Amino acid sequence: MISEITSVFRDVLDNDKIVINEKTVADDIDDWDSLTHIELVIGIEKRFKIKFKTSEINSWANVGEMCNAIDRLLNK
Amino acid sequence: MILLGNCYSIPFMVSTAVYEGFIATFNDKNPLHTDEDFAISKGFKGKVMHGNILNGFLSYFIGECLPVKNCIIHSQTIKFSHPVFLNDELVLNAEVTEVYESVNAYVFKFYFQNSDGKKVAKGDIRIGLLL
Repeated sequence: MISEITSVFRDVLDNDKIVINEKTVADDIDDWDSLTHIELVIGIEKRFKIKFKTSEINSWANVGEMCNAIDRLLNK
Repeated sequence: MILLGNCYSIPFMVSTAVYEGFIATFNDKNPLHTDEDFAISKGFKGKVMHGNILNGFLSYFIGECLPVKNCIIHSQTIKFSHPVFLNDELVLNAEVTEVYESVNAYVFKFYFQNSDGKKVAKGDIRIGLLL
């Protein structure tokens, strides 16, 4: 899953060198700002064909929690 | 409320006031836009209006024509496929094609059509609603 999310990050941020892991947070990635965050969420929703709730997005502390949310939606 | 599939149709006119206001504001006096003979020599029937005048119309659409006012444009694309001339009457047709409730974002696909039925420009806009 991290590889697919990495692909979304690279597309959205237009940077093929981005490397993320479950502990990655916004401060670790240049240009990961509030607008980019929206684009990332949209990119992930499209990639995995899922829909998040606003409340779960706001609760993510790092990429790992984002992955957990994706997992939960994929396994519903 | 903005819903998937909502459609909008808004008329605009590229009036002298719009044209001169655009030049006065942004100072783009390229001869294609300001010199009738030059524009005709390049194969157009008259002065070609600045494509970004249409972006002004889009700004009006998003800012004033939607049923909500707490909106902001995140991004937009536009392709210009036919020239627009002074006093052309255009209709902006826009449809909500994507909704992302989790981040309060909405995507509109749009096109501008002139009175000859030609689509002179098309693109998409993504907006966000501010909470």
